[in-house]
Amino acid sequence: MAPRDKRLSSTPLEVLFFLNGWYYATYFLLELLIFLYKGLLLPYPTANLVLDVVMLLLYLGIEVIRLFFGTKGNLCQRKMPLGISVALTFPSAMMASYYLLLQTYVLRLEAIMNSILLFFCGSELLLEMLTLATFSSMDRI
Amino acid sequence: MGRISGLVPSRFLTLLAHLVVVITLFWSRESNIQACLPLKFTPEEYEKQDNQLVAALCLTLGLFAVELAGFLSGVSMFNSTQSLLSIAAHCSASVALSFFVFERWECTTYWYIFTFCSAFPAVTETALFIAVFGLKKKPF
Repeated sequence: MAPRDKRLSSTPLEVLFFLNGWYYATYFLLELLIFLYKGLLLPYPTANLVLDVVMLLLYLGIEVIRLFFGTKGNLCQRKMPLGISVALTFPSAMMASYYLLLQTYVLRLEAIMNSILLFFCGSELLLEMLTLATFSSMDRI
Repeated sequence: MGRISGLVPSRFLTLLAHLVVVITLFWSRESNIQACLPLKFTPEEYEKQDNQLVAALCLTLGLFAVELAGFLSGVSMFNSTQSLLSIAAHCSASVALSFFVFERWECTTYWYIFTFCSAFPAVTETALFIAVFGLKKKPF
């Protein structure tokens, strides 16, 4: 663990986690409404609809765990939770690209919202790497 | 900070809502352009209006960059006046632009939405930038 008097936590990373949490909450609600819309208006096979909604719930779980561990790791200056968050960034980005490219019907709205999520993932990954590097370089001294 | 903390996420979300509608307009601008042309129009006329609307949309994206930079860099993140102004402007912009898309408003109305809902908060944001970085003041 890093010394107590040094503050190594990254403020931009914390801001991103905070905004990502709010953005994700909005995204989740909107996506549920979009599935309602698509299920009512489009010829959506039941199996695909169930698959997409279950994937969305899984995505919610991944994202909540990722943001929780990321915030804890960043604020407590611990490498393990931050490492878990880095590892969970990849499934999270996979899910965003699934909803961007591979799901049954992709609306324009979804395309834009998922691109914003991917942008969040990328910038968080970059800042998490930098923060992890700072934490571990302070550990060696 | 406790009392205004709700302003920060709501400002961010309204900004993103406006951004999403503007990007959607890039895809679906044909019907709006046809709405402000006469019944029979030449490709040149269409091209002219199209260029104007695309220029307006690109300008909007630039102003978004200004405002998001001010927000994320912390210049105006905890400034409640600017936050309220920005929330009001971008919220009305997203509502107006959804009408713009759904009701196929004339493309010239975009300039009004642009002036009041996009340029105005960006101007105050620039003023804050100047106050913070130029005059070294904290206008909270």
